[in-house]
Amino acid sequence: MTIREKGYTHWDGQLRQTRFPWWPITRTGIKLAFKIKGFRLFFVFSLIPSFVYLVGIYISERMENFRFMIKGSEKILQINPGYFKSYLTSDFLLFMMVMLLVFGGARLISDDLKNNALQLYFSRPIQKKDYFLGKASILFFFLLILTLVPGLVFFLMKLIFAASFAFFAAFPWLLLSIVIYSLLVTIFFASYTLLLSSLSKNKRYVAVLIFAVYLFSDIIAAILNEIFRTPYVALFSLKVNLQQMGAFLFQQKAHYAVPWFYSFLVLAAVCALTVWVLGKKIKGVEVIK
Amino acid sequence: MSIEVKNLSFSYGKLRALHDVSLSLEQGAVGLLGPNGAGKSTLLRILLGFLAPDAGEGRILGYDIRQEQPLIRRAVGYMPEDDCFIPGMDAVSFTSYFGELSGMPRQEAMKRAHEVLFYVGLGESRYRLLETYSAGMKQRLKLAQALVHDPRILFLDEPTSNLDPHGRTEILELIRDISSKKGIQVLLCSHILSDIESICAYVVILNKGQVAAQGDIQELKEINYRLFELKIKGESEDFVKKLRDLGCRVEETEDKILKIYMPADQDKMRIFEVARQTQVQVRQFVRSQTSLEDLFARAVGVD
Repeated sequence: MTIREKGYTHWDGQLRQTRFPWWPITRTGIKLAFKIKGFRLFFVFSLIPSFVYLVGIYISERMENFRFMIKGSEKILQINPGYFKSYLTSDFLLFMMVMLLVFGGARLISDDLKNNALQLYFSRPIQKKDYFLGKASILFFFLLILTLVPGLVFFLMKLIFAASFAFFAAFPWLLLSIVIYSLLVTIFFASYTLLLSSLSKNKRYVAVLIFAVYLFSDIIAAILNEIFRTPYVALFSLKVNLQQMGAFLFQQKAHYAVPWFYSFLVLAAVCALTVWVLGKKIKGVEVIK
Repeated sequence: MSIEVKNLSFSYGKLRALHDVSLSLEQGAVGLLGPNGAGKSTLLRILLGFLAPDAGEGRILGYDIRQEQPLIRRAVGYMPEDDCFIPGMDAVSFTSYFGELSGMPRQEAMKRAHEVLFYVGLGESRYRLLETYSAGMKQRLKLAQALVHDPRILFLDEPTSNLDPHGRTEILELIRDISSKKGIQVLLCSHILSDIESICAYVVILNKGQVAAQGDIQELKEINYRLFELKIKGESEDFVKKLRDLGCRVEETEDKILKIYMPADQDKMRIFEVARQTQVQVRQFVRSQTSLEDLFARAVGVD
């Protein structure tokens, strides 16, 4: 290893102030996520429901051709806001999202803490908000591919297969519901992941935490429900809160008789906690007082 | 002045880390010295904008350290003491990544990353995963990421820590090349005094959060005191006591050599007078070269 195989030359370009200084963090994070084997596998699996639901939309418009296959299941294939809600709030999709967070999200901040990378980031002309936005956008990218993109594609395909705008005319608010719900789920899961990722330098511990908190919140809600027999204990479950919000936004009957804004407050509280914890935990340097 | 701070103070809660620090540094390599807890790292952190000073003001390349931190960070390269890397990346993508974050266009950052990696001696291994790098290679990588955006000032925090003698020599050679031939000012923070002495012409010594000494190393060594080494025969107790009364600092080495740090305004013949008065024979008298260690020890008040 010889030094100066090529000499040092000054760079004659101009450093620029970009509008999105966080973009290199996002682009690099997405690339690094795809290098993880487990992540690639779960990402592919998590796309399966969207293909199944897309096929469902196609069949619903060609019912006479597929009647031999359906045999009384026509009700399932009625394309209405409930169909969109059942895709976006399905247990399987939410579980796959959590698995993506486990494999691709756990390391986002914990690796930087472990490998002292924060001081490299913050010695550059980027601010804390750029760092968080860059990291969160990595999760936005993957989560929106599983929520917003399929939702919009379903809507578009419904119009194309039906060859009319009747569906749009019947549910003009549906597009907005898809966008709002997708953003809600994405922002919540991104906050939840970044919060847990900032708590430890050990990405395995964070991965377990992401999975366990999601799972145990559901189990605790079920246990409390057995004890107290009140629907309000469902608010302890992260999954149920997301599903309650889905039911409200898609104008469907909620599974639990709890006002939607309670669920919204629970989800918002997690996001607020994330902002507070990240502000406290993430510093360019360790400051020991 | 490229780095100028006035009356800078900073406290971690009740612990005062910097008190009334004023510096004025010009081009070239500057050494920042001090014992643990002297405030070196705090000063670097304030200059980089990681911490906001409680009082005082400062400018780096004309940019205000309180108001214009992004502009300072664009013009400054920082090589931290700790090992820093991002797992899963190779050296080229790592270096170009931080070039981009500094504000370089993507293509330019990539091209420049190759250049600086060759410069620091990582050309051959630039596509290897960073997890597989040795301690020496990680040091070079940190230097490469600090250089990628062609900074006007480099802040180097313990650049030779954890290196074997060969690796240390190579990194020092690089730093010397950068500071002397490439027109980049270097602020070198190190515990290894010989590193500072070999690279820097100017030194700032911090102690207990205050500037204990600053200036050109050669001048500081000359002006403050002269060092004489003596071998004597006879009772040294009275001899040493009288020299101390004259304002000299006296140390005895393991091989019974007396090191006498004499104030510049004292005449060396006073040593012989004291020897005559205390009936001590001077068997050896050598005017010795003072080192940075001596200067450091005097400035911070330790032996």
